[in-house]
Amino acid sequence: MVSEIITSIFGDLTPLATLIIMTVAALIMPGIQMFGKKHTVTWIIALIMVILTMAIDICLLVDGYTGYYLGVNCNPYSLMMGLLFLIVLFLVVLVSNHSIETTKSHAGAYYSLLFGATLGMLFVTTSLDLLTIFVGVELTSISSYALVSLKRRDGRASEAAVKYAIIGGLSTALTLYGISMIYGCAGTTYIPELAIAIGYEETALWAFIIGTVCMIAGYGFKIAAVPFHMWAPDVYEGSATPVSMFLATGSKKMGLAVFIQVFLFMFILSANFGTIYGEVAQYTFAIIAAITMTVGNVVAIAQTNIKRMLAYSSIAQAGYILIMMAVMTPEAGAAGMFHMFTHVFMKGGAFLIVGALICAGIGEKLSDYKGLGKRAPFLAAAMMLFLFSLAGIPPLAGFTSKFFLFASAVGVPGEASGEFIWLAFIAILNSAISLYYYARVVKAMYIEKGSSTEKVKIPAVFTLAIVICLVFVIVLGVYPDLIYGLCENAIGYLI
Amino acid sequence: MSMILSSLIIVPLIGAIIALLMGGTREKLSKYVAIAFSAITLIISTLLMLGMFGDFEDLEEAFVWIQNSSFIINYILTVDGLSILMVFLTSLLVFLVNIFSLDEHRENNNYFYALIMAMEVGLMGVYLAADYFLFYIMWEVTLIPMYFMISWYGGPRRHYSAIKFFIYTHVASLVMLIGFFLIGYMSVEPGSAVNFSFVAIKSGIASVALGSQAIIFVLLFFGFMVKMPSVPFHTWLPDAHTEAPTEGSVLLAGVMLKMGSYGIIRICIEALPDAAAYWQWAIIAIALISIIYGAYGCIAQTDLKKMVAFSSISHMGMVMLGIGCLSEAGITFAVFQMFAHGLITAMLFMVCGMTGHKVGTREIPLLGGLAGVMPVYATFMMIAFMASLGLPGLVGFWGEFPVIYAFYEFILENNVIWMLVFCMLSLMLTAGYYLWAMQRTLFGPETKKIDLTKAHDVGHFEFAVLLVLSILVALFGVWPDAALQFLEPYANSLIVMGVI
Repeated sequence: MVSEIITSIFGDLTPLATLIIMTVAALIMPGIQMFGKKHTVTWIIALIMVILTMAIDICLLVDGYTGYYLGVNCNPYSLMMGLLFLIVLFLVVLVSNHSIETTKSHAGAYYSLLFGATLGMLFVTTSLDLLTIFVGVELTSISSYALVSLKRRDGRASEAAVKYAIIGGLSTALTLYGISMIYGCAGTTYIPELAIAIGYEETALWAFIIGTVCMIAGYGFKIAAVPFHMWAPDVYEGSATPVSMFLATGSKKMGLAVFIQVFLFMFILSANFGTIYGEVAQYTFAIIAAITMTVGNVVAIAQTNIKRMLAYSSIAQAGYILIMMAVMTPEAGAAGMFHMFTHVFMKGGAFLIVGALICAGIGEKLSDYKGLGKRAPFLAAAMMLFLFSLAGIPPLAGFTSKFFLFASAVGVPGEASGEFIWLAFIAILNSAISLYYYARVVKAMYIEKGSSTEKVKIPAVFTLAIVICLVFVIVLGVYPDLIYGLCENAIGYLI
Repeated sequence: MSMILSSLIIVPLIGAIIALLMGGTREKLSKYVAIAFSAITLIISTLLMLGMFGDFEDLEEAFVWIQNSSFIINYILTVDGLSILMVFLTSLLVFLVNIFSLDEHRENNNYFYALIMAMEVGLMGVYLAADYFLFYIMWEVTLIPMYFMISWYGGPRRHYSAIKFFIYTHVASLVMLIGFFLIGYMSVEPGSAVNFSFVAIKSGIASVALGSQAIIFVLLFFGFMVKMPSVPFHTWLPDAHTEAPTEGSVLLAGVMLKMGSYGIIRICIEALPDAAAYWQWAIIAIALISIIYGAYGCIAQTDLKKMVAFSSISHMGMVMLGIGCLSEAGITFAVFQMFAHGLITAMLFMVCGMTGHKVGTREIPLLGGLAGVMPVYATFMMIAFMASLGLPGLVGFWGEFPVIYAFYEFILENNVIWMLVFCMLSLMLTAGYYLWAMQRTLFGPETKKIDLTKAHDVGHFEFAVLLVLSILVALFGVWPDAALQFLEPYANSLIVMGVI
């Protein structure tokens, strides 16, 4: 229905619709800021752009639109992942004008970079070619380096930006090396062809494995999988909170989307041709997943800065999501995608609260949160729900998505495959560990007495954004089919 | 379709939300909200128990909640002879606890009552759920209110105890969750979706190899056993009880521990009878160790509340012993013991918790001769202690002795008559620690170690609550059939299913 209107406007270019609007938005933002001079005007236009893109995305998704134009595949999967990135972008843009950390930077450049980064993410989800994926990832990465360094007078931000850029460069190099190895083996970078090629190509077995490992490592940096995670806490701590949120919930998901498109897709496809590559990759991912979640959770226990704690917790969450790569079944893929969505809301909500409290003049230290239950009852209650959701306590969204995810590791209906039950065990043990440091924040907020009893006032948009996240955290916990069905559909379409 | 069973969950939920919102100036009214809503719940559950709403089978409520290609998750509530007793016990104790708390004023009353009502939501859910997913959610829902109950309103070491309680039981329930995954995945045909309802899984799991069943049984059993708790995973209980406020202790010991034994019967025994038979000796061993160790631990305690906590371990061991016999008498009276222990332990924690408020300390060596100062208090304490040690004519007798009889049958059957010595030992120890504690606190010369001039006897509301409990303890003691009539059909259904 609605998609017909969109088709009539964009014509052949409909698959590119969201990309086009994002590009336009990224290009006009500095101009608007230059002529308008007012932050609020820029903010409103940016917000309109995001909502417009999101509306188009949702319309196409609901109508089940599929299309192809010049290497851009528009299908339920890309639209669904795109929706995820756009939700993140929406939440970030919504609070940006009132976050004291971002208003000090140049608004035009800030929004432009945000849109540029999102454009890269959207582009990645529509590609089925290693090279175009690479280009999309680079677009996002380079925009993110600049985003991190926007708070340039802050020493921590500069350090974070430098660290991020250097490590990002290294990961880029690794990825490219991996891609070239794979190209050397298979003679193609188009993933469906690659899947067929590795089916019978045995001469270059080791080269292919090295290429795969290099790619896993390269994109592993993006999702901050252990041992490629060292940059994440510094960068999240150093950058403005909306940017940290953008990186933790958006940028990280892009890495995971790449994994889904490249490996999940390729290996499930190639399994039909009987190769051993899939198994090698499966165990690599299983080990990375196990180490990532364990290290993330264990190190998070020692953190006293909330942003760093959230950084380590999101490393751990990436570990959980990587279970889908180890298990490599469509069910696991759908469950992983669903967890990405719930993670956006719960981790995004937690970051939003940190950002809101920074606006209200409350620091990022755990000790600053003492007595918050009295000073800001709504924020404290929301934070508690987000953290409990992250810990996987029912009936919140985090529990439901973890339930689906861990269940997929246990096996497929009719047989507990046994192969990755140990991974489910480790993941569940990790959930228990994670509860400890989440509960510590709750304890600080509700049980310990703070030095001040003054009520906390936060900007209204923050409240709005937090309420949105909260609603989704609760609704998805009770009624997961709202998104899970779409995820299943998306993965089903891709595979 | 009737909504009676859902109303048992929804009414306390509404009560919890209203109580939560009554902050500030209306704080004082929150207790009346809690009392009103728990009274409605009590009335519904009593009518339900008396059969006013018709047969239990007709009350089932079933909806599909989440459905996709790999799962079918249902919202199913059922009630039968096993759960009705627990539902009644829960609604009764929550109501009585609300009344009991009237004699004391707390800061942030509204939170306190919201927590109690939220706990009732979870407890009702656990006892009524007939779907693994729903069961797990409700199981976890009880956890958070209890955590806050201990860490907001507890004693001096409350933070440590609360977090210990939280992590211990949460880890256990996560292990249980793995068990749920396995039982779900193994019980369906390849390629079809996993239906998490109790009925579907029970019919599917029977064809699974005994080895797999035995592994699942261990995972589930572990989750339930920590909650009960059984030695060696009992250490959270004394800490939690010592620090929790009296109301929290009553609910924790009275109905929350029963979740563990309820889970063992409802899930481990019903769904995995072969595995239960496989592990029978292990269950018996754990039960015996819990009974003896709990009773032995009681003797060593100097804190009255801690002593009662250890006695709970011992008595829940008795429940496990009954279950472990896997016979009709064993399971019937294990459930009766759960019910009896719920009533008795509520009294025990009320009187022992009161000691702290009334006298200023719960340390047994500091107490003495309280019977002269606080006669009403002393009477209730004696009734509670006597009921707990199994005096004939009180409800504890019907919990304990038939279980030992069932165990006696079991040891005759297996030709291990020497194991009777454990029963003797447990009876001796139980009688011993109660009488000794009573001797030291209530009788003898009045203590000089603490100031007894300020000690005052029980308040009006406390008296009323204790009186109601004493009457029930006596009533079910002389007329156990009032509760057993529900268990008979349940035990028969187990026999029909071939479980025992």
